[in-house]
Formats: sequence, structure tokens, C-alpha cells
Amino acid sequence: MIPETLIVERGVSGGDQWVTVGPADVHDALAALRDEGYRLLVFLTCVDHLVDSSRKWPARYEVVYQLRNMDTLEQLRVRAFVDGDPPRIDSVSDLFPPANWDERETYDLFGVVFNGHPELTRILMPDDWVGHPLRRDYPVGGEVVEFSEEHEAWQTAPDKA
Amino acid sequence: MADRSGQSVTDTIGQGVTINKSGETGAFGGEILTVNFGPHHPSTHGVLRLIVDLDGEQVRSLKPVIGYLHTGIEKQMEALRWQQGVVVTDRHDYLSPPINNLAYALAVERLLGVEVPPRAQALRVIMSELTRLASHLVWMGTSGLELGAMSMLMYCFRERDTIMDLNEEISGFRMHTSYIRPGGVFADATPRFLEMLDRFVNTMPSNIDEYEALLTNNPIWRSRTIGVGRLSADDAKVLGATGPMLRGSGVAWDLRKAIPYTGYESYDFEIATSDLCDCYGRYLVRIKEMRQAVKILRQALDRLPDGPVNIDDRKVLPPPREELETSMEAVIHHFKLFTEGYSVPPGDVYVAVESGRGENGCYIVSDGTHKPRRVKFRSASFVNLQALERMALNHMVADMIAIIGTADAVLGDCDR
Repeated sequence: MIPETLIVERGVSGGDQWVTVGPADVHDALAALRDEGYRLLVFLTCVDHLVDSSRKWPARYEVVYQLRNMDTLEQLRVRAFVDGDPPRIDSVSDLFPPANWDERETYDLFGVVFNGHPELTRILMPDDWVGHPLRRDYPVGGEVVEFSEEHEAWQTAPDKA
Repeated sequence: MADRSGQSVTDTIGQGVTINKSGETGAFGGEILTVNFGPHHPSTHGVLRLIVDLDGEQVRSLKPVIGYLHTGIEKQMEALRWQQGVVVTDRHDYLSPPINNLAYALAVERLLGVEVPPRAQALRVIMSELTRLASHLVWMGTSGLELGAMSMLMYCFRERDTIMDLNEEISGFRMHTSYIRPGGVFADATPRFLEMLDRFVNTMPSNIDEYEALLTNNPIWRSRTIGVGRLSADDAKVLGATGPMLRGSGVAWDLRKAIPYTGYESYDFEIATSDLCDCYGRYLVRIKEMRQAVKILRQALDRLPDGPVNIDDRKVLPPPREELETSMEAVIHHFKLFTEGYSVPPGDVYVAVESGRGENGCYIVSDGTHKPRRVKFRSASFVNLQALERMALNHMVADMIAIIGTADAVLGDCDR
């Protein structure tokens, strides 16, 4: 199990076990869990808690790692809260190969920078895209529509909308 | 990177893709050539782009570039109310809409703390298995087409059309059914649906025999797939592959058995596996899975329980139409539900289901309002595509087609 000193908080949500670790300890915690048998990183993503009053959040961005032990069928969600512009956290793509694309996606859509990732580039959006679409302050429908008759009307830069 | 004369030998063209211009000579005496494959190419099953370094006809490196079908589905979900989101879940993996609905519905139900009645569970299993069959049929038809078995498409789409008719009968839609919803299903199965399904289940085994007669011992099909695109069990596990990709490498892992949902634990079926670890093995797995799906359908049909198909909670599902004319309370519930929606208790949950391609999961985060804070789809195609390079390395270009085909990635699912 992860050394208890790394765990900030633990709980159960909707039947799923989760632990929160400090943002600097993510790599250590996941390495410990992998050695223990949680060999599958099911997915990795981010949640933006901008203006979220459901509880008091330690930071705006929550990076979520869903792990599974395929032998004992145990599942564990590891969460880490990061702030900053851009938010930074250590990459785990050296521990779990599938994390490579997941981290690129999270960088693309949330702007979370993964330190030590081999090639952190956009993956779903075009390379020249401005902004990170899944952030809560990024408007829906504000993107530039090419070849539209109302081109000017649609052209709202994400930072102004 | 630069050579001694100071000239750049690599060229970064974006999306993490670097073109090699070193002029290096390959094993066959020719220059290593970087070739762009796709994105608009029929054998990429959508719009997948590959940057391939070729030594003669051999693949020296392969780099998938995705994102051409990105439609911002996760962003849209945040702007829709909980019950409206179902319609969007249909559209990312467009070959298995009810299975996506199921993942979303189960996740919302877990947070709401409700469980659907037995008849709804059985109908969900029926729709999931029909979808799995339809998805494998599309896969087999198109892969056959790519590898020279032209008639496969005709045979496979014949049965797929019957499944589309079944979808139409039960939900009104042929493809994007939105049939499975949080709290139950759209409507009860009509007697005609059950009759059609019975006929379908009776005829399907002989149809699968027909596909096997066309492919299993076909010398061209065998020489194009046996030994091609090997992926060892260890590699498959490390790369996070799921579904027929993992089972085709001999790992008996199926979420329907491992982490059963919607009552799969009460059905008698086997996990289809193959130890061949190659394209042919993945084909055999899908054939076996189709037979198992028919078996599950037969069981579900024979012991379809009676009763309601929705939970009895007017805060989540609208009241029946006839109640609106007599009951003021029903009108209020109806009004509240369609103007404001319902709110889900704060929390997050991840539910995984087995789709035709592997583990398709739905991770939802609620902040207690009537719209989701975050919906994340874990898509099997996205993860399985990362194993492409491992499988295609040192194969011929033509084999690459077989490998992309048997990886069965749906790019809509991959890019969301």
C-alpha cells in the first residue's frame, strides 16, 4: 500500500475507494501502488473545480488516476490537487505506458503540464489552438467558425468571452 | 536535431510528429522513407492518420495521429442536464450506442443510489448484446473487405440490418437509440420486438456458421492474418489493451465476468479467448464472442422477467402521459423535470462496461447541481491504438492494414 505519510485524505464515493495524495508525491504513490499489483492505469484525467461550492476544494485542478489490480479486482482512485498557471504535476508515463496519450489529452484540454513527459503536445485539438477547451472558463460556442457568413460574430476569443 | 553540416535532419510537423530526413539507408539499400497514411483512407476505419517510416515496404516506425473526429463531447455534456446527456453518449462510439448509454446510466444511478427493476436490467443486457453483435458484424464486414473477402460485407450487413430493425422497433431509432437511460429504459419491449428477436436468435447461429465458412479456413484470409500483428499477453497488459485485443492474446479478462454489471453474473457464458496473439486470434475471439452473445440473448429472452422497466421516482423520470390529465402533482413533476432537471448528489464515480472494443467506462463528477461537473469517457479505442506501433513494427505495409483492422478502433470513440 502507499506509505501512510503520503496520504492526505481517503474516502469512498459511489462505492469507489479513493485517496488523495500531495501533488509532489503522485509519482511515488503510483509507483508504490504499481509494485503492489495495481498494474493497469484505467484512465487519467482532470477535473476543473472553478466555482464549485459542493465542498471546499484545496485547489482548482484535480488530477485523477484510476488504477486497477487485475488479479484481485481492487480499484483505487488517486487524486491530487494542483494550482498555478499552468498547473504542473509529475508525469507517470514511465510507470504506465497508456498514460502517455492520457497526459497529452489532459494537457491539451486542461493545460495541465506533466513534468518529464516525453513529448507533451496537443493530441485532440489542432496545434495552433488557443486555450484549453475543457476548462470551465472556456465558453461553449465561442470558437472561430471558418467559412461562416457570420464569421465576425462568432469570433470571440476565449479570454474575452 | 542537426547533422554535422548544421542542417536539420528532423522536421517537427506538429501533433508530436517528427519526420526523419536523415537520408539513412535501410536494410534493403534504399532510403528510409517517411510516408503519410490517411487520415482520409478507407482502411483506417474512420479518420486515423499514421506517419510511417518505411524501409522498402517494411514498417520501421509508426506514429498514430488522432483528433480528426474530436467533437468536444465531454464539453457538451457539461452544458446539458443529466437526462439530456444520454443523447450525446450515443455519438462517441457510434458502433455501440446502447453500451455507451449503459455506462453513463449506471454511473448516474450509482450516484443517485437507485437500482433499476429486473425487467429493465434484462432489456439492457439484450440491447448490449445486440449491439456487440452489430459492432462485430461491422468489424468483420469491413475487415474482410480490406483483406480481399469482398462478399463478407454483404453477409455481415444483412444481419446488421436486422439488428437495426430491432433497434427501430424498440426505440424508434435505427442507430443512435438513446434507449438506456438513467432510471431504466426508454420504453418496454413490444410483443413484435420479442417475436423479431426470437426469430433473430434462432437464425443467427447458422449465419455465424456462414461467416466462418467464408473466412475461418479461407487460405487467403489465413495467410493475411496468421502470425501478423503479434501482441504478447504481457505486452497487451502493459499497454493497457482491453477487449478482443487482450483476449486475443490469451488473457481471459472480460468485465462482464470480472466486475459484473446489470445482472451479467446470472447469465451462463464463456470468455472468448485465443492464444494465437495475432490478427487471426483476434478474429477467432470475435467469432466466439458473437456465439456467446447469441447464447446470452437466448437466456435473456427465455427468462425475461415481468414488471416495470423504470424506477418509480418522479424526481428522475417523467410521469406517464395519462397521469398528466388527471393529476396536478404529475404536472408539477413533469414541469420541474423538463425545465430544471434533477440534481445528483455531489461525488464522483467510475463505471466500466465491456463494449465490442474493450473497456468503455464513464467517469462522472457531480457538484450537486442539475448538470454534470465533468464527464469523462474512458474509451477502449484510445488506449488500444497505442499498441499499434508494437504490433505493426517490421511488418509490411499491407499487413499494417490487417493490424489496424483487427485493432477495431472507432475513431469517434477515440477522439470523442
